[in-house]
Amino acid sequence: MGHCAACGTAMARAFTGKPRQPPCYDLKNSVTIWTAGAAAGPKEMHIPDGYLSPATCAALYAGSAPFWYVALRRLKRQLTTKLIPLLSVFAAFSFVVMMFNLPLPGGTTGHAVGVSIASIVLGPWASMLAISIALFIQAVFFGDGGITAFGANCFNMAIAGSLVAYFTYRAISGHSAIVSRRRAIAAGVAGYVSINVAALLTGIELGIQPLLFRDASGAPLYAPYPLKIAVPAMMAGHLTIAGLAELILSAGLVAWLQRSHPSLLSATAPGAAAAGDEAGGFCWRAIRPLLAGLAALMLMTPLGILAVGSAWGEWSAHDLADPSARQQIAAVSANRPLPAGVPRGLERLSSIWTAPFPSYAPPFLRSSSFGYLLSAAFGSGLILLAALVLNGIFAARRWSG
Amino acid sequence: MRPNRVIEGSIHGFLRVLGHTLESEQLARRAGLLQTIDPRVKLLGFLGLIVAAAASRRLEVIASVFAVAFILAVSSRVPLRTLIIRVWAGAFAFTGLIALPALFLTPGRTIGRLPVLGWAVTAQGLRGATYLISRVETTATLSMLLVLCTPWNHVLKALRTLRVPIVLVVILGMTYRYILLMIGTAEEMFESRRSRMVGKLEAKEARRLAVATAGVLLSKTMQLSGDVYLAMQSRGFRGEVYLLDESRMRLRDWGWLALFLALGAAALWMGR
Amino acid sequence: MPAPVFEIENVSYSYERVVALDAVSLTIPAGRRIALLGANGSGKSTLLRLLDGLSFATSGAVRFCGQPLTEEHFQDETFSFDFRRRVGLVFQNPDVQLFNPTVFDELAFGPLQLRWPRDLIRQRVTNTLDDLHIAHLKERPPHRLSGGEKKRVAIASVLILDPQVLLLDEPTAALDPRSQSQTIDLLAGWKDTGRTVVTATHDLDSVEEIADDCFVFQAGRLVAQGVPASVLGDADLLRRTGLLHAHSHAHASGEIHSHPHRHHDRES
Repeated sequence: MGHCAACGTAMARAFTGKPRQPPCYDLKNSVTIWTAGAAAGPKEMHIPDGYLSPATCAALYAGSAPFWYVALRRLKRQLTTKLIPLLSVFAAFSFVVMMFNLPLPGGTTGHAVGVSIASIVLGPWASMLAISIALFIQAVFFGDGGITAFGANCFNMAIAGSLVAYFTYRAISGHSAIVSRRRAIAAGVAGYVSINVAALLTGIELGIQPLLFRDASGAPLYAPYPLKIAVPAMMAGHLTIAGLAELILSAGLVAWLQRSHPSLLSATAPGAAAAGDEAGGFCWRAIRPLLAGLAALMLMTPLGILAVGSAWGEWSAHDLADPSARQQIAAVSANRPLPAGVPRGLERLSSIWTAPFPSYAPPFLRSSSFGYLLSAAFGSGLILLAALVLNGIFAARRWSG
Repeated sequence: MRPNRVIEGSIHGFLRVLGHTLESEQLARRAGLLQTIDPRVKLLGFLGLIVAAAASRRLEVIASVFAVAFILAVSSRVPLRTLIIRVWAGAFAFTGLIALPALFLTPGRTIGRLPVLGWAVTAQGLRGATYLISRVETTATLSMLLVLCTPWNHVLKALRTLRVPIVLVVILGMTYRYILLMIGTAEEMFESRRSRMVGKLEAKEARRLAVATAGVLLSKTMQLSGDVYLAMQSRGFRGEVYLLDESRMRLRDWGWLALFLALGAAALWMGR
Repeated sequence: MPAPVFEIENVSYSYERVVALDAVSLTIPAGRRIALLGANGSGKSTLLRLLDGLSFATSGAVRFCGQPLTEEHFQDETFSFDFRRRVGLVFQNPDVQLFNPTVFDELAFGPLQLRWPRDLIRQRVTNTLDDLHIAHLKERPPHRLSGGEKKRVAIASVLILDPQVLLLDEPTAALDPRSQSQTIDLLAGWKDTGRTVVTATHDLDSVEEIADDCFVFQAGRLVAQGVPASVLGDADLLRRTGLLHAHSHAHASGEIHSHPHRHHDRES
C-alpha cells in the first residue's frame, strides 16, 4: 500500500488491480485544467515564447517549412502575378476577422481564426500561407504569439488547421450544389474540427515539455503541465468556445457567400451538382441508423466497470510485481506458473508511453463511469474523423484526375 | 449577457491595434539608442538574445538578458508605461494564471502549504513557474522593443538577411498596409451599427451583424485583390519583385552587431 | 492632324453577360487632352482599362501607335515594358494604387519593375516628389495620408515614368474642394505639352479647363463628341445622358436652371 507523495493520503487499490489516482489529484488537476482552459480558450491558441523548448520549436519550424515551400511553389505556378495581391489581401482579411468578438450560445464571446473559411474559398495551400502571414504579423508586430514559437503556431493553426478544414469540408459537402445547405453545415463542422485538432496538437506540444525538459532538480524548464493536464485544458477551451466561434464564422460566411457571391465557393467545389440535383457522395442520412447504434453502444460502455479482474493478458509491470494480483492472474490462467518476477523487457518498455486517459479514466474525473463514456466518445470521434478524412481524400482524388 | 460586447469588444480591439500602430510609428522616430542602429543588426541581435533566453537552463541568465533589454529600452526613450501596458502586465496576468497551479502540481520537495486547501507547494513547482514567467516576460520585451524602435517596413526588409524570399517580404508589407485599411472599414461598419442601435442587441441579431460585417469585408477583400492586381500590372509588374535597399552598414552598426552576438553567445553558453 | 495615339475600332466588351461597351469607335490624336464624359456605368472606366492594356476587347480592335493591344502581344516582354513606360493609368480609388509601405517605395515601384538603375531611380523619385510638392511625405505610409495627398502620390507614382500618355479615372472624385482645384490645376497645366491626357469624369465643372475634346458615353455607347463648349452647351444631351452641370438644377416641372459660375483666385 503506497502513500501519495503530495498529500500523504493512503492510496487505495481498486478491484481491477490497477492503482487509482489519489482523490487529491483529481481536484487539483480539474482546477488547473479549467483555469488554464478558461484563460486560453477565449483567446486563440497562440503559444507565446518560453512555453516550448528550443528543440520543440526547431522541430516544428522544420515541420512547417516543407509545407510553406511547397505551398509557395504551387501558388506561384498557379497564380503567377495574382499571387501577391491575393495572399496579401486575404491575410489582411484573416487578421481583421480574428479580432471580431463573435457571440456564442451561453452568453460568452469568442474569437475565430478564419482558417476554415480561407481553406474553403482559396484552397488549403493558399490558406496555409495566408494564415501564416497573418500569424506572423500578429506575432512580430502585436506580440500575439511568440517568435520562436511561430513555427509551432503555424504548424497547428495554419497548416494542420487548413488541411483538416479542407478535407472535412470536402468530405461532408460531397458533390452537393454550391448553394445547398449541406455546404454551410460542412463549413461549420470543418471549422469546429480544425480548431479542435489545432488545439489538440497544441496541447500535445505543451504536454510533452515537462516529460522531456527538466533541470537538474527536476523542475520543468518550459510548460510545466504533463499531457494529462495540458491536453484536456486546451480542449476544454476550444471544444466550448473557440471551436464554436470558428463554426459560427465559417457556416455564417458560407451561407452569406451562397447568397451574394456563390462563385467564390466554386474553387473548392469541383463536380458540384447543379442546384436541385440529388447530391451524391457522403450522405449523413444514409448512415443515421449506424450512428444511432454507435451512440447506444457508447452509452453502454460504463458496463465495463462491472467486469471483475483485468482483461486477460493486459497486465502491467505493476500487476506482475504485486503478490495479490499475481494470484488473480494465476487463477484465470488455469493455474499455470507465472514468470518469477517482472520480465525485464516489459519493465523497460512499459514506461515509454503514458496514455492521456490511462485506464480509460481521465484523471480529473472522479466518476469512472463518466470517464468511460468520455473515452468512448473521444475514441469514436477520432475514428469517425479519420474515416471522414479518408473519404475526403479518395473523393478528392477521384475528381481531380 | 451584454450582447453589445460584440460591437464594443470588436471596436475596442480595432482601436487598440490602430493605437499601437501609431505609437510604434512615433517611438520609432524618437532620438534614442536603438533607433540609430541598423535594422538588420537589431533583428539578428535580438533574435540571438531571444533564443538565448528561451534556451537557458539558469534563471540568472534569463534575468541578465531581461536586464539588458530593460537598459536598451530606457536608452531608447521607450516609456515605462508603454512597456507595462503592452508587454509586462498582459504577459504576467496570462502566464501567471497558467503557471500558478504548477506550484502545487509539480512533484518534488515540499516547501510550504497553501492556506485553507493545504495543498503542498514544491520547490520544483516554484522553479518551474519562475522559469516560465521570466522567459515569457524577457522574450516578449525583446520582441516588442525590436518593433517599437524600428519602422515596420525596415523590419520587413531586414528579413532578407534571414534568407526570407523577396516575394514573402513584399506580401508581408502589403498585408500590413491593407490590414490598416480593412480595420478602418470594419470599424466604420460596426460604428454605424452602434449609432443606429436602440436598446440592447439580441444574440441572434449580434451574430448576424458580425457575420454580415465579415461577409462584406470578404467581398471587399476579393474586390481589392483584383484591383490591386490591375494597379500592379499597370505599372509594369510581371511577377518579379524588387526591393530598393536604403540602409548602409556603418562601423558603429558592425560594433553593435558584434556586441549583441557576443551577449547572445555568452547567455547561451552560461545557460546551457 | 497629329498621328493617332489610340485607335478604337468597333470595340465591344462584355463581362459575365453584362455589356460594358457596345461597338465603340473613336480616335485619340497625340498631344490632345480628351475628356470621356458619362454617368456611372456608362463604360468610360472600362474603356480606360482597355486603353491601358489591363482588359482586352471581346470584339473589335484597340491600337496604340499602330500596335494592337492583345493578350498575346503583352506576353512579349519588350513590348510590355515599352507600353507600361509610355502609358500610365491613375485609378479612381487611390488606396488600390498605393500598395507599397511608404510613399518613396510607391514611386520607386514602377521604375524598379522596368529595371532602371538604382541611382537613377533614387534621383527621379526625389525630383518627382519635389515637382508635386510632396517631398515631406517621402517616408509616410499610405494610411497616414489624407485623400488629397493620396491622390497626388498616386499621380506622382505614374508621372515618375514620364509617360507619353496619361489616363485618369475620375481624378476629382471624393476629394475635398481644395485638393480638387489642385488636381485640376495639374491637369490644366498639361495643355500643349505634347502629352496625351485622357480623363474619364462626370465632373462637368472642370471639363473646359482640362480638355480640348470630349466624348460622351451612355450605356456603353458613344453618343456625342465635340469641343467642351458645344457639349456642355447642349442641355438636352446632358440631361439625356444623365449628366447635369453642377451649377444647374432641375425642377419637377422639367425646367433646368443654369447659373453662371465664378472663378476665385487660386493659390498655387
